[in-house]
Amino acid sequence: MSLNNNLMLEAKDLLVFYENALAINNVSIKCRKGEITGIFGANSAGKSTLMSTLSGLILDLKIKEERKGGERITWFGDIKYEGHNIINIKPSERARMGIVLCPERRQVFPESSTLENLKIGAYLATREQAKKTLEYVLNLFPELKKLLHREAGFLSGGEQQMLAIGRALMAQPKMLLLDEPLLGLAPAVEARLAQAVKEINEQTGITVVLSEQYARPVFPIIDYGYVLENGSIVLEGSAGELMNNPDVLAAYFGM
Amino acid sequence: MELIVYGIVNSVILIMMSVGFALVYGVSRVPNFAHGALFILSGYLTWIFLNRFGLPYILAILLALILITIIGALLYRLIIIRVRGMPVSEIIASFGVGLAILEYLRWSGLRGMTYMLPPFIPGSTNIFGVVIDYQRILIVIGGLGLLAFLWFFTTYTKTGLALKAIAQNERAALALGIDADMAATVAVALGALFAGIAGVFILPKGNIVVEMGYEVLIFAIAVSVCGGLGSWKGAIYASFLIGFAQILTVKYIASHYHFVVALLVIIAVLITRPSGLFGKQKELEERV
Repeated sequence: MSLNNNLMLEAKDLLVFYENALAINNVSIKCRKGEITGIFGANSAGKSTLMSTLSGLILDLKIKEERKGGERITWFGDIKYEGHNIINIKPSERARMGIVLCPERRQVFPESSTLENLKIGAYLATREQAKKTLEYVLNLFPELKKLLHREAGFLSGGEQQMLAIGRALMAQPKMLLLDEPLLGLAPAVEARLAQAVKEINEQTGITVVLSEQYARPVFPIIDYGYVLENGSIVLEGSAGELMNNPDVLAAYFGM
Repeated sequence: MELIVYGIVNSVILIMMSVGFALVYGVSRVPNFAHGALFILSGYLTWIFLNRFGLPYILAILLALILITIIGALLYRLIIIRVRGMPVSEIIASFGVGLAILEYLRWSGLRGMTYMLPPFIPGSTNIFGVVIDYQRILIVIGGLGLLAFLWFFTTYTKTGLALKAIAQNERAALALGIDADMAATVAVALGALFAGIAGVFILPKGNIVVEMGYEVLIFAIAVSVCGGLGSWKGAIYASFLIGFAQILTVKYIASHYHFVVALLVIIAVLITRPSGLFGKQKELEERV
């Protein structure tokens, strides 16, 4: 019972179709408040589709596809977030409710300066909150201090990822969705960012859901993990349980 | 001297005519082909308020500008939103609205000398030995004021920053809680307001004629294409380029060629540098 009260988000029996292709097959996940939940899987396993279903961007994608007469996207199932069913709520509205996505491949605003990216992130924040969070982000990523007035498009991959995470924090999330935050980064930067995510989670209590292809660098920081294959969950468990499964180790942890 | 003064005036006129168009396209990728019609409509509304209702000039202008802003918002909410994301349909839909407005005005009798707005301050003065009327000076001041406002709006206000965000990466902006339709509505309404302000400032130079609506649209497109579609800073530089080119043409070739200059610029830019002077480089968007 106490476990249930702890639930921040629960997706139940999610099915997502692109035309007739099944991208997400009967996926149910639970994310507990204050924990870090990992979603692992190879390319095209459905990680990004799951993330856009959770963040609501899939609604926007559906409208766009409909307008240009492209793929028909349909979904079934429920997503309960803090007691509300949010499956048909717009992404901007979900951000207002506290679900903020840090998208795949960082997607910083390339022509805006680092500082302006952060200011844009604070769209939903009050002036007070924005000031406090800005300070927090710059403490977390001191690298960004020197780059505040540089155009974000000219930052390195690692710096852009720090900026993207910082920008998401500026939106005052209760739940942070990180879609492949370590994609294409050098191993040293990977470890640094994974540590930063842990720090954010511990210091601010923000619930984190992160997806990754290779679990090794984020394995030390997750509390619970799911493994996706061809759109279905093939395995789930606490960090320890996953760690002791030889199949997982071979396939997803590169060990 | 005369060339410089009138070159600057002409350039600022082009800025005023085109900055709204460039802004709307830059923010929401909506090519608002009703731009010229909104320009004329604001002048016509001002004339109606001034002469039919006998309102004071300032009040007539303010009312017309408020109305034109609302019309801009409705244009997006009622019409463009339905074809959003399909550029050709957006052009056809907005141009259709523009045509409807302009041809309705023509049909209802907008021609000849009757429709004329008085200058804000009558008379003229002397700058560096060049005779220039007060209205043209006010146009320069108004144009610069418009740019200052635009700069302030997109640098310091939340809505302005949100518009910039949507223009650069819509999905990332949505994930941060910015509503794309809200941003596009604000952009089109603001663009309509800018077209309206341009109309109110510039139309007192001559008669309110329907043809000018088409002319303004073509100038706006020429400037935007030359400056790089979507970049309103590029539009400013392009305005000066085309503005001076026109004045030189008028001076050394013949005055009726000034319109051809704008069209030649479109062709020349599209041949040599299709993304315009300040066209965006795609490589910057994503660094892995």
